[in-house]
Amino acid sequence: MTTSIVTRRRKPKWQRVSLTGYIVLSLVALASVFPFYWMFVVASQTTAAISSPTPVLIPGGRFFTVIKHVYEVVPFNVALLNTTIVGLTVAVAQVFFSALAGFAFAKLNFRGQKGLILFVIGTMMLPSQLGIIPLFMLVSQAGWLDTLLALIVPALVTAFGVFWMRQVVDAQVPNELLEAASIDGAGVMRIYWSIVLPIIRQSGFVLGLFSFLASWNDFLWPNLVLQTPAHFTAQVAVAQLKASYVLDYSLNLGGAFMATAPLLLLFVFVGRRLVSGVMDGAVKG
Amino acid sequence: MSKNKFTRSLAGVAMIATVGAGLLVAAPAKATAPAVTINIWTFGDVIEPAMLRAYKVIHPEVTIALKKADLDPSMTNLTTSCSAYVQSHHLGSPPDIAAVEVSYSGYWRAYPQCFTDMRTLSTSAANANAQSLVPSSSNIASGLSANDIKNNYLAWRWAQGTGYNDSVIGIPTDVGGLEVAYRTDLFKKAGLPTDRAKVSALWPTWDKFIAVGKQYMTKVSAADKKKGVGFIDNVGTIYAASMNQGTYKYYNNNGTDAGQLVYKVQGNAPVYDPKTKAQKIDPKTKKPMFKKDWVLNPNITKAWDYTIKADNAGIGTRIGQYTSDWNVGMTKGTFATILAPAWMMDYIKGQAPTTSGKWNIASLPGGGGNQGGTQLTIPKWAAHPQEAWDFINWYLAPQQQLTVFKTYGLFPSTKVIYNDPALTGFKDPFFTNAPVGSIYLTGIQKLQPIFEGKLERAIDQAIGAGLGRVAAKKQTSLQSQIQVMIDLDKATK
Amino acid sequence: MADIATKGRSRPKAAPSPWKQKKRKPSKGGSGVPSLNGKWAYLFIAPFVIMFLIFGLLPVLYSTNLAFYQYDPLSLSQTWVGWDNFKFVLADETFWISLGNTFEIWALSTFPQMLMAIGFAAILRSRFLRGKTFWRTILLVPNITSVIAVAIIFGQLFGRDYGMINNVIGFFGFPHIDFVENSFASHVAVAVMITWRWVGYNSLIFLASMLAIPDELYESASLDGAGAWKQFTNVTLPGLKNTITFVLIVGTIGGLQVYAEPLTLAGTQDGGSSHQLSTLTMYLYNETFINMKYGYGAAIGILITIIVLIISAINFLVTRRVASEDKR
Repeated sequence: MTTSIVTRRRKPKWQRVSLTGYIVLSLVALASVFPFYWMFVVASQTTAAISSPTPVLIPGGRFFTVIKHVYEVVPFNVALLNTTIVGLTVAVAQVFFSALAGFAFAKLNFRGQKGLILFVIGTMMLPSQLGIIPLFMLVSQAGWLDTLLALIVPALVTAFGVFWMRQVVDAQVPNELLEAASIDGAGVMRIYWSIVLPIIRQSGFVLGLFSFLASWNDFLWPNLVLQTPAHFTAQVAVAQLKASYVLDYSLNLGGAFMATAPLLLLFVFVGRRLVSGVMDGAVKG
Repeated sequence: MSKNKFTRSLAGVAMIATVGAGLLVAAPAKATAPAVTINIWTFGDVIEPAMLRAYKVIHPEVTIALKKADLDPSMTNLTTSCSAYVQSHHLGSPPDIAAVEVSYSGYWRAYPQCFTDMRTLSTSAANANAQSLVPSSSNIASGLSANDIKNNYLAWRWAQGTGYNDSVIGIPTDVGGLEVAYRTDLFKKAGLPTDRAKVSALWPTWDKFIAVGKQYMTKVSAADKKKGVGFIDNVGTIYAASMNQGTYKYYNNNGTDAGQLVYKVQGNAPVYDPKTKAQKIDPKTKKPMFKKDWVLNPNITKAWDYTIKADNAGIGTRIGQYTSDWNVGMTKGTFATILAPAWMMDYIKGQAPTTSGKWNIASLPGGGGNQGGTQLTIPKWAAHPQEAWDFINWYLAPQQQLTVFKTYGLFPSTKVIYNDPALTGFKDPFFTNAPVGSIYLTGIQKLQPIFEGKLERAIDQAIGAGLGRVAAKKQTSLQSQIQVMIDLDKATK
Repeated sequence: MADIATKGRSRPKAAPSPWKQKKRKPSKGGSGVPSLNGKWAYLFIAPFVIMFLIFGLLPVLYSTNLAFYQYDPLSLSQTWVGWDNFKFVLADETFWISLGNTFEIWALSTFPQMLMAIGFAAILRSRFLRGKTFWRTILLVPNITSVIAVAIIFGQLFGRDYGMINNVIGFFGFPHIDFVENSFASHVAVAVMITWRWVGYNSLIFLASMLAIPDELYESASLDGAGAWKQFTNVTLPGLKNTITFVLIVGTIGGLQVYAEPLTLAGTQDGGSSHQLSTLTMYLYNETFINMKYGYGAAIGILITIIVLIISAINFLVTRRVASEDKR
């Protein structure tokens, strides 16, 4: 007890953030957000305004007209709902299965362990475009075409997730802790559930977040397997806005904005959890 | 009293009930056809919303589900689906209709097994009374197959939907056409005539067009030249235009699916000197040296030479079409001419509205021209080929294509309505009231059918890259041609 | 369970030299805890392995088998050609150009980005930082912006004649840069796009790791008289070794497969008039889906995999070598 209090009080001086630090962060924030802001500007102007010789930096008044038009072309709310369902399911599943496998690779000894993890990493290097035709046939024969299952099932596990969780468990869960618990008589399942999971919870959350993002932004595969507008995901819905041979910038970026904004909102809520979660892990450690 | 009243009210109710029932029975029973969903894979604005609304009035039981994507992903999807079909022979998957763009028609014509041969289909009576429901619509007779509607369409557009084995795999939608859109204000500043007929008379051939360009450029200030101002937006468009004016491009139809490659022929090839990067000059006779070798065929060489000549004359800007620089360039007057298909007019209006009234349309040098166009096909594995065929016959019928023109400006490919005053009399104030209708009509009727083969797109891409290298000064013309030959040999192996 | 004092004391042994720990692996195979029953592992990895085999591995193996054929997916004609496809790829100039492009883009987008990510994480780590949630959320905005939108926006920014960046350059009197035709400039443009999208993501990964480094280490270092920079190099960096390797490997795998950004900048599948923007994956896509050579494309896919494998292995060995040199 005493040790921790002392630790907390004597925070090293350099951990304060200097003015330079804030300037750097501000520049980064500006650069991160500017394209998104620009999307909003374009979506609220006419196409002609965007192509005018003097660059336009202020939003115009057309935003809601454009968004209305977006909704006329595609049932966007349904698309957002579909994308959320797929994203959440995939995120939860990936974290669940990856944590299990990651723990096994990191903390359990079994035959073929080293070879298997190398193999897993190796498969991450195969270009995904290669498997499109056979995967499509598989999904088609399973009767999943035009359903969200075609998006969810092939994405339930990921090599990256396993690799990530293995790193996380390896770095954050000390062997001694597990030894001690095992000596105390706890079984593997119990140890996994009560000791390992709480420690890696935050990193697991981060993985889930990234899985959700990857699923949200996926276009090529959903575009192939989804058919009816009611089943589209957000990116496919945005693609429907390409109304002519050539690009109507304001309409397309309006749609892209609508496909991105919900995520931003999500982060406003989730961001707080993310921060406190990561912080908790640090203090506890 | 009450009994009397009661009886009378009962009788009254009974009468009303009877009359009501009678009316119900007598009313023409609406044919309750079973609900059907037609899946269409498309891109761009091939399928127009207003037409879908009209079809919904005619057939409330039919729901049309559109899936749009960019051109390349759309075609990849079709390939994937056809491959799945060819291996599993599973029928009833989407789509029922697939739009195939002209640049891919060469490829799909080599694989008619992916599509239903439309000569074997026959329209039902579904749209026989369409006009009574939508007055602007036409009626589609029953019993029509592809053979019956063939003569409604331009021959060369029809040919783009014919498989190598003569099966009909697609019906043409609109036709792009190609003419020259020019800026009257910039022409005037350069001392050129602005009247449409006079301008068209200036350039009956590509050589003359280049000469006019040169003349224009003499009036361009040095400062503007440094900024990249030019006469035509991109000289690469000359290549495509010229190629379409011949009778063959890269293939001949020899009855096989692959087609016969004719991109190269035996001829007098210039000998290449790596030191000068141009044709070798014989030190003794001081004459350019030739040898017997493979050369690109005469049509390609001619189109190539025009393009390079234009580039050497400095009349092109280095802006690529459909880039953001191009959009801005339209307003700024960075270029004075664009080789424009009919559907590009709307695009110009959208991107550069402040230039209204400053454009006009003149005829294309060298004859007719075309850019773009689509065929509607019915894949072999479609779930509802009959409904799809009924829809296609209605949607692409002459009357409906005319309606699409009036509403969206897409030019019809159905030659039988070309004398309709809506087309011949169509003027556009943005383009100085040019009779755009009749100008494009003249142009598109000059083209001949050209056989397209499987690797059309790949070959176009390689040649386009070759022209680009010369324009970017990365290679000389002869050097680039040699590389193009190597690339084509590799691509077609 | 374990007394916190014990935890505090036993930590320093585990954290600073994770590599040391790895080397102490029992030769039987496994860095795991010996007293735990290893048989459970099979159950734990089963769901992953099964589903991965079906949906991940099998389709790709099927396609890679095609590398030894000349294959037409629509007529199903299959001709055995043995190693011919591989020979043609290695003799194809476009392959080597694509390889070079991919490497240059990878180098330009990976290393600066890693430095930036660690730097940002160091700033974000401070407990005294005001508005933590805000900064951390902002960092992820690039990652959630859809690829289509990013492509359009950056395409406009990098326009040669009227793009915003060239406007600024021209304002200062310098000639415009052609970000599409000029090979190096185009790679810089793509690297900027990639860095923009991923630096925030990677910052958060580094941040999570940094926060796991216990304060005691910094305490003892400052007691030894180490200043801020020394603490950073002797405490923070070593603690990030694993993460750096991880980010490097994942970044390599992703970076060597970059596809969407160069495609949009180039506008055509072949990567531009002299293939200056063609990456390995674009080359694969172009040969497979535009030139319709599925067998050839499969051979390219296998070669890509091998290349990525080699580079990742090199990454791994180099970071490991550097780490063991640093070992106290």
